[in-house]
Amino acid sequence: MNSFDQSALLLTILVPLAGAVLSMFLPRNRPNDAWYFAIFVSAITLIISVVLFVGYDFAAGGYQFIRIYEWLDEPLNIDLHLAMDGIAATLVLLNGIVLFGAVLISQTIKHRTRDFFVLLLALGSGVFGVFVVQDLFFLFFFYELAVLPMYLLIGVWGSSTIFEADRQRLWGIPLPFDLGSYNRPKEYGAMKLMLVLVGGSVLIWVGILALYVASDQAGSPTFSMVALGELAKNGAFSPTFQNWVFPLFMIGFGVLAGLWPFHTWSPDGHVAAPTGVSMLHAGVLMKLGAFGIIRVGMVLLPEGAEAWMPVLIVLGTVNVVYGAISAMSQRDLKYIIGYSSVSHMGYVIMGIATLHPVGLTGAVLQMFSHGIMTALMFAMVGAIYERTHVRDITILNGLMKRMGFASFFFAIAGLASLGLPGLSGFVAEFMVFTGAFKTYLPLAVLAVIGAALTAIYILRLLARTFFGEADPRWEGLTDASPVEKTVGAAFVLILLFVGIWPAPFTRVINVGVDSVMSLF
Amino acid sequence: MVWAWLIPVISFAVVPLIILFGKRLPGKGSPLAILAILAGFAIFWVVFAGFLSAGPETEGCDIGVGTKVLTCNFQITWFEAGIPGADTSGFDRIEIAWGITIDPLTVSMLGLATFVALMVQIYSLGYMHGDPRMDWYYAFHALFIASMLTLVLADNFLLLYVAWELVGLCSYLLIGFWHERPEPREAAKKAFIVTRIGDVGLLVGILLLWSHVGSFSMSETFAAVAGGELSDGVVTASALLLFLGAMGKSAQFPFHVWLPDAMEGPTPVSALIHAATMVAAGVYLVARAFPIFSASDTAMLVVATVGLITALGAATIALVATDLKRILAYSTISHLGLMMLSLGAAGYTAAIFHLLAHGFAKALLFLGAGSVMHSTEELDVRKMGGLRKVMPVTAILFSIGALSLGGIPILAGFWSKDEILIAVNNHLNPVFIVLTLLTAFLSALYMARAMFIVFYGRFAEQFEHVHDAPPTMSITMGLLAVFAVLFGLVALNWPGAFDGIGYFIIYEKGHGLEFVIWLAAVSTVLAIGAFIYGYLAYARKSVNLEGARRKFAWPLKVAEGKYYVDELYQWTIDRVVMSLSRFVAWVDRALVNDVGINGPGDVTRGLGEKLKYHVTGYVYSYVLVMALGLVGLAIFWWLVSR
Amino acid sequence: MVPLVAFQLLSAALFAIGIYGVMARRSAVLIVMSIELMLNAVNINLIAAASHLDGSGRWANFDGQIIAIFIITVAAAEVGLAMAIILRMYRNRSTVNVDEINLMKW
Repeated sequence: MNSFDQSALLLTILVPLAGAVLSMFLPRNRPNDAWYFAIFVSAITLIISVVLFVGYDFAAGGYQFIRIYEWLDEPLNIDLHLAMDGIAATLVLLNGIVLFGAVLISQTIKHRTRDFFVLLLALGSGVFGVFVVQDLFFLFFFYELAVLPMYLLIGVWGSSTIFEADRQRLWGIPLPFDLGSYNRPKEYGAMKLMLVLVGGSVLIWVGILALYVASDQAGSPTFSMVALGELAKNGAFSPTFQNWVFPLFMIGFGVLAGLWPFHTWSPDGHVAAPTGVSMLHAGVLMKLGAFGIIRVGMVLLPEGAEAWMPVLIVLGTVNVVYGAISAMSQRDLKYIIGYSSVSHMGYVIMGIATLHPVGLTGAVLQMFSHGIMTALMFAMVGAIYERTHVRDITILNGLMKRMGFASFFFAIAGLASLGLPGLSGFVAEFMVFTGAFKTYLPLAVLAVIGAALTAIYILRLLARTFFGEADPRWEGLTDASPVEKTVGAAFVLILLFVGIWPAPFTRVINVGVDSVMSLF
Repeated sequence: MVWAWLIPVISFAVVPLIILFGKRLPGKGSPLAILAILAGFAIFWVVFAGFLSAGPETEGCDIGVGTKVLTCNFQITWFEAGIPGADTSGFDRIEIAWGITIDPLTVSMLGLATFVALMVQIYSLGYMHGDPRMDWYYAFHALFIASMLTLVLADNFLLLYVAWELVGLCSYLLIGFWHERPEPREAAKKAFIVTRIGDVGLLVGILLLWSHVGSFSMSETFAAVAGGELSDGVVTASALLLFLGAMGKSAQFPFHVWLPDAMEGPTPVSALIHAATMVAAGVYLVARAFPIFSASDTAMLVVATVGLITALGAATIALVATDLKRILAYSTISHLGLMMLSLGAAGYTAAIFHLLAHGFAKALLFLGAGSVMHSTEELDVRKMGGLRKVMPVTAILFSIGALSLGGIPILAGFWSKDEILIAVNNHLNPVFIVLTLLTAFLSALYMARAMFIVFYGRFAEQFEHVHDAPPTMSITMGLLAVFAVLFGLVALNWPGAFDGIGYFIIYEKGHGLEFVIWLAAVSTVLAIGAFIYGYLAYARKSVNLEGARRKFAWPLKVAEGKYYVDELYQWTIDRVVMSLSRFVAWVDRALVNDVGINGPGDVTRGLGEKLKYHVTGYVYSYVLVMALGLVGLAIFWWLVSR
Repeated sequence: MVPLVAFQLLSAALFAIGIYGVMARRSAVLIVMSIELMLNAVNINLIAAASHLDGSGRWANFDGQIIAIFIITVAAAEVGLAMAIILRMYRNRSTVNVDEINLMKW
């Protein structure tokens, strides 16, 4: 093992963190400098994450790039234990890509630019940390580091939604169940997101402490996930204990994964957030939740997981169908994507809850695929909103004529999201269906129907917004900027690559799934 | 033969080239697409020759279990998922292959698809001339045909599904090609969503088969079905689910609504997609999965019944439709219904034969209609008449197509329709044969109507200046016409090596195509009668239809209203689906969010509002509370310790 | 030998006076002085308790003294800080009457 291998995981955390700290010393009045510096930093992390993904030896499997920095001794036993398996490798790559894309897209941030990138990079560092640590204390630490900057990022740089619409009428009578006009200030979005997620964190923290206490009772107090995993394997945690601790993690992490009925922070938060933050948040942060369920819930509490999976898969299915149906009648572009994220995270949750190797592989691949696809959608919506200042799909029309590139990229992402073969979404969803079919057949059928519902709202959006005669209202619109084109093209290529040749991803994920599934 | 994979791949490969560089290429990249499909057509002949000379001993080839015909498979791994190295039959791992299968069915479909696509792409040079988005048109075309070829080559259900969806996407893109107008936009959306509903069934069926077989490979699935490893219920269920997909794609009742609307696309697209290839995919799927279907009597009966309902219903609508392309569209639906009916009646060969014959004739008819539309910019048949005066070539070629499809003897349609009648007569209830004959008569009648109204009879003066088709268009139509006329002859047992198509496209045990004199006679009489009646009623106008119209005013209205299926769908979507969606969105906002999530927040804030007044800001009030607390604590302590 | 309870009574009396002062006085300076009184009441209590620990009047345990010294130190710092705050208060609002400075309420 050379020195890079030894320190690579630490670098994924430290480089963005150091970038964030150094950014603070940049001059306040030169926004471009902050942007260039953030690009530089995120480019380095992107390179590191690509090298890590490529360098992960899938033939050997297991945890690699292990490095342990001792921190606190007895009786707490907290170490900074860094390691990466196949699942984490995929997600590290995802974070590297999306962070880079989000930084690039954030060229349009002109207000307190420096502070924006400080927070964004800190957030990225936290996400890397969660993916690569093997210690519950640090996992929680990085989890919070990833979540907390969100509040400021949305509250300061976000945008409020004031949506005015007449109630739909049927035979002259206003429909009772219609949203009509609504007003969602960015502060509301930020506050709700923060409170709900911190509420989830509380549950997680209780669960972590319960595990620590249980390990203490078993004779070797520790926060190390490796040691706890060994204890779990040796039956140190009684089924009763597992049955009450697992739901803490399931709901605590599930909140961040958009688990129904704790999902409403996600559409409102995404709508309020600035483009780059929406990308990171829907693209990567929501995956932290799903990752946490796998890494903490399933690995440390296998029996509890087994007992609770029927509940989780029902909730996941609700996510899929409910999210898709909700998205159908939304009129705000970002709300449509927000609900679509809820729906797509449902597939991830379902895949996890199948406890089937193929389903779990699908879930992880879906995390990657959805991360790229939703980031691309948010990027392009941001580009459109930047120019039109409108997100209402009943007002936008014929954008294909004015913003060809942005429309094209968005359309590809939309097609990926409705599960079109040849793009990444299909491969992942198909695996989730496969796993669910073997375990919970009726729910799998519902999920397939949910995928068909996706087609309805995506096509409705495409038809209304992008197609049609060129409208004189959008006369002066410029197409996507070079930066936006770069991000769009790169993400589209990734979607195509994974859709056409998923083997480089599945073979890495497979070994990670193998070690998780060996517990069941 | 192994090089068959190149046929779709070449077309796939040109797609990004056209998209990226089309603007700068001569002809906006159209020659690239045409060359690609030409190469595919050339390779098809190599594959065909290779297949004819192959036998069970050839590498990769074997007699298919369940199909009992020579089948050649070639594959490489695409991706794996699940536990590495686990046995796939344990369901812990799936292994998906890029695999191709070559058997008579595939070869026939390859030939049809490459040939028609080649014709249509050349025709489009003339038809789409000057369109600003010609590059996209050809890119979509190439993508479409590549997907279609992948579909017929796929050797596992998943790859088939992949191609199936891509075909649907291209259909969406091509129908909505002129998206500036609202109708194509809506039609494209409708086509995608309706077929997508069917695809749910297809995917569920595929997964259901996997969950019992442990493999997506067709040959393994068929072997499992033939070996009786699956229970009858599973076989029937999966067959019906697969059929759901086929119904969507092949526009079978009640999923037929998208096809007539799809006529909003450019006419060559209608010819390619909605006549020869994509809509045939459903029929192809049932034929491909025939070992599963034929193992279940229920499934076969359902296929036959749906086919018959579709055939008859669409034929009646075609008889009263007024839009030339829609007449052809309903005719397509009707003929697809006949193919399904034939498959349901175990007439495997007849169905495929009709698929091919119909493909050539219908492509010709659509291209003819396109030629009419191109020069007159009119599609309402009521405004047309006597067009043979100004566009004689188109008139003759269109008439050939109509006669062929109408089942006039010696032309291709006659032979294939006859085979269907025999199959229905042999395997199904007598009611079926009566209704099938009625459908055959109606289909001849509406073809006669379309042909005589448009090209014969009194000349409509406003089309004085109209010109005939340019060479790119007329030559391709001519080539298709040759097939529409002569293709039926492959049914015959010619002297020499070729024993007729019945010995080529076979299922289970080889049998030649039969010829039943009385059925042939009846169908011939019906067809000729229909054309004569059509001539009298629509060209000579010597038969007055007004009386009949008044007498049958009510059924006529229902047929003209297309049995109100569209309205039913529209109502369901507007009133049921969207209401449900609005309701769910409202629940999400009002209950889940405002009560469930905001609720605790509001309660906390409300409590704070009430409780905050104890904070007076005066130091002594705090100290008083502290002191009282201290005293209270002391008393408590004293009491406890006592 | 003075019994422990005498010290404790003195301490309690001083403490009660201190509390009364904090509650009744309006001037911030006098409130600070009352707080000093309470702190010193505690100091007396601690030292007395420490010197009586083993019942013989010998210095048996230094904990009380140590804490008392801590308290004296903290009290000194506290007075300094409090006087500074009061000075600023007077500069800003021209009064040290705490009734007029009730900004820290709802």
